[in-house]
Formats: sequence, C-alpha cells, structure tokens
Amino acid sequence: MSLSPQAQTELTRIAVNAGQILHQHGAESRLIEQITQRIGLALGAHSIELSVSSDAIVITSLYEGHCVTTTRRCYDKGINMQMVCDVLRICVMLEKKLLDASQVKERLMHLTPYKYNRWLVVLMIGFSCSSFSHFFEGDWPVYITTFFASSSAMIVRQELALRHHNPFVNFSVSAFLATSIASIGVLFEFGDKPQIAMAASVLLLVPGFPLINAVSDMVKGHISMGIARWVFATLLTVSVSIGIVASMTLTGVSGWIY
Amino acid sequence: MELLTLIIFDGLFATVPALGFAMVFNVPKNMLVYCAVGGAFAHSLRFLLMDFGIQIEWATLIASSFIGFLGLYWSRKHLIPRPVFTVASVIPMIPGSFAFTTVIGLVELNTVGYSIEMMQIVIENGLKTLFILGALSFGLALPSILIYRGKPIV
Repeated sequence: MSLSPQAQTELTRIAVNAGQILHQHGAESRLIEQITQRIGLALGAHSIELSVSSDAIVITSLYEGHCVTTTRRCYDKGINMQMVCDVLRICVMLEKKLLDASQVKERLMHLTPYKYNRWLVVLMIGFSCSSFSHFFEGDWPVYITTFFASSSAMIVRQELALRHHNPFVNFSVSAFLATSIASIGVLFEFGDKPQIAMAASVLLLVPGFPLINAVSDMVKGHISMGIARWVFATLLTVSVSIGIVASMTLTGVSGWIY
Repeated sequence: MELLTLIIFDGLFATVPALGFAMVFNVPKNMLVYCAVGGAFAHSLRFLLMDFGIQIEWATLIASSFIGFLGLYWSRKHLIPRPVFTVASVIPMIPGSFAFTTVIGLVELNTVGYSIEMMQIVIENGLKTLFILGALSFGLALPSILIYRGKPIV
C-alpha cells in the first residue's frame, strides 16, 4: 500500500479524531494511545507517535520519512463508556478490513453519545446511596432519608451539568443540598443513627472514575496524566467537603467526625 | 448458614450501586448485567475476606484482582474495553467516606485549630483512602501488567 501526502494527512486526521473522542469520554491513557496507534497503522502509516496530556493530544504519523503532525484540544464531555466501546469496535472492524478509511471517518463523525433516561438515573442513584447507608449499618428510616437526599442532589447535579456549570461549583452545591436534606432526618431523629444518612447521601459525588483512572495511568507509565487526573479528583473531593461543611455550619447538625 | 445469608444480602445490596453508577458512566445496555454481577461478586468477596480477619486493604486487593481477571475474560468475549465492566464493579468498594472525612477534618483543623485528635482522624482516614484506592486500581490493572505487558487486550 502506498500513501499520497493527502492520504497521509487524512489518515492522521482520522486517528486524531478517534483519540480525541476517547479522551473526551474518559478513557484511560493507555487505551487512547493503543487505539490511536492501531487505527493509524491499520490505515497504512509506518508508525504513529502521540503525546497525551490532560487537555490535548498531539499526534505525528510517519510514512517513508514524511511526518504529519496535528493537535486537538480535548474538552471534557463527561464519562461515556458507550462511545469508548464504539470507537474500539470501529478500530477492530478496520483491522479486519471490514471498513476503509472513508467509512471509518464517516462512522467516527456520526457517533452520538447515548444517555440513559435522566429520571431513571436519579432513581438508581437514590437507591445506590441508600444501599451504601445499608453498608454503614443504617436502618429503614435512614434508608429512606438517604434516598430522598441523594436523589435530590442527583437532580441538581444533572441540572447544573446540563447548564455547563463549573464541576467544582456543581459538586459543592449538590453536596450542600444532600447534607441539608439528610440533616433534617437528624433534627427529627428519624431512625436509630440518622447521622449515617449524612455520610451516605453524598457518596454519589465521589469521583470514582477519575481516581481509578489516575492510579491506573500512573501504574502504566503515564505519570503526568495520572497526576492531572488525581489533582482534578482531589479538587472535586475538596469542593464536596466544602459543601458539606457549609451545610453543617448553617444547620448546626454535625454528622461527620464528632 | 448465617454467614451465607449475610454474604448473599451484601451481594444483593452491592448490585444496586454497581448498576446505578454504570448508568451514570453510560455503559451500553447489554453490558449492565455484567457490571451488576461483578459488583455483587467483588463486594461479597471482600465482605467474606474481611470476615476471616483479613485487613480491608488486602481484601480489596484480592477482590479487585478477581474482577480484573473476570473483566479480562468478558472483554475478550464481547470485544469491549475492560474499564467498562471493571470500574462500575468496584464502585461499591471506593473509599468515598474515608476521603470526605479526611478533607472535612482538614477544614475543621483550620477553623477550630490544631488538635492531636483531629490530626489523628485526618491522617488515619487519609492513609486508608490512599491505600484502599491504590489496592483497588492496582488489582484492576494486574492482568495488563502481568500477562499482556503493553499489548492490547482486544
């Protein structure tokens, strides 16, 4: 297979597009690197070199001494595993010669993120946090309090995310609301240990995915990317805690530490 | 017998957060059941190990490495990247409460002033968070570190 300079430019654009989609939807760095390289190599490049940083990817394709380099900014579009699955599927189909370059480009362009019904997610997150309250040995009244506190917080979180608010502001406000609602349960002594509801109702705001990605990036050698993700997750945790402390100061109910 | 009932209930309660968070991460519909099974399996395994007197960090490491290998099998079977199953499955084991207690302790340390008791809370919870989280992610990464070593899994 021989590549014209135009074809090499086109190949680089397709590969960087795949990498950008993966980066924006929360794939770990190793996966971004591997899939971008595999797509580039399957399209005929001799090698693909790329550098992944926390907000951009730079990729260079090499073919018979010619280099084409391109950069894409990657704005966070929220974690979406379905997009990651679709890009991987396109990559595997390309490697098995079921697709050619133009079809790959077409498919990558037309990928749309699938989202679950938001009220179903609210319901499930409510029950999730209630299950956490069960793990902390809460009884049924605590279970109910946690359900209402965490599902209201999830509604606020979705609303603010829909309006593109800063994630730190979003998480503080949601934590504030969840803690305030749960502290009503403490004020009216609803259940045996109502403080458990305060601890369990904010667990929907734990940045679990960024934290796991951070450690696995660092383990697999992408130290700077891991540190960036770790700092982001830590800042989210701090803003959640600020929301909790603000609510506890206002209502005078303390459910943590004391 | 009593232990068995406890474990089954623990697993049942762990499926709910695994499913709920899998939906937040937009895991494809037909893969949700694997996340639920993985979540139940991991959390009840950790519960059992902790019941035998194993420390929470080591129990987490063992449970998450089981999920890592289980995810390896599923991902090769369905041509789906591994984090899709594994991360949602370990969500019930994430040390969220420890993390928040650490930072709330830090905030209190600033407002109330330094005290050994508060510092003890901060350090103990912080270390728990770090070690559990490290064990969790390391366990998940184990198959690609030990077996695949840089080669793509699917």
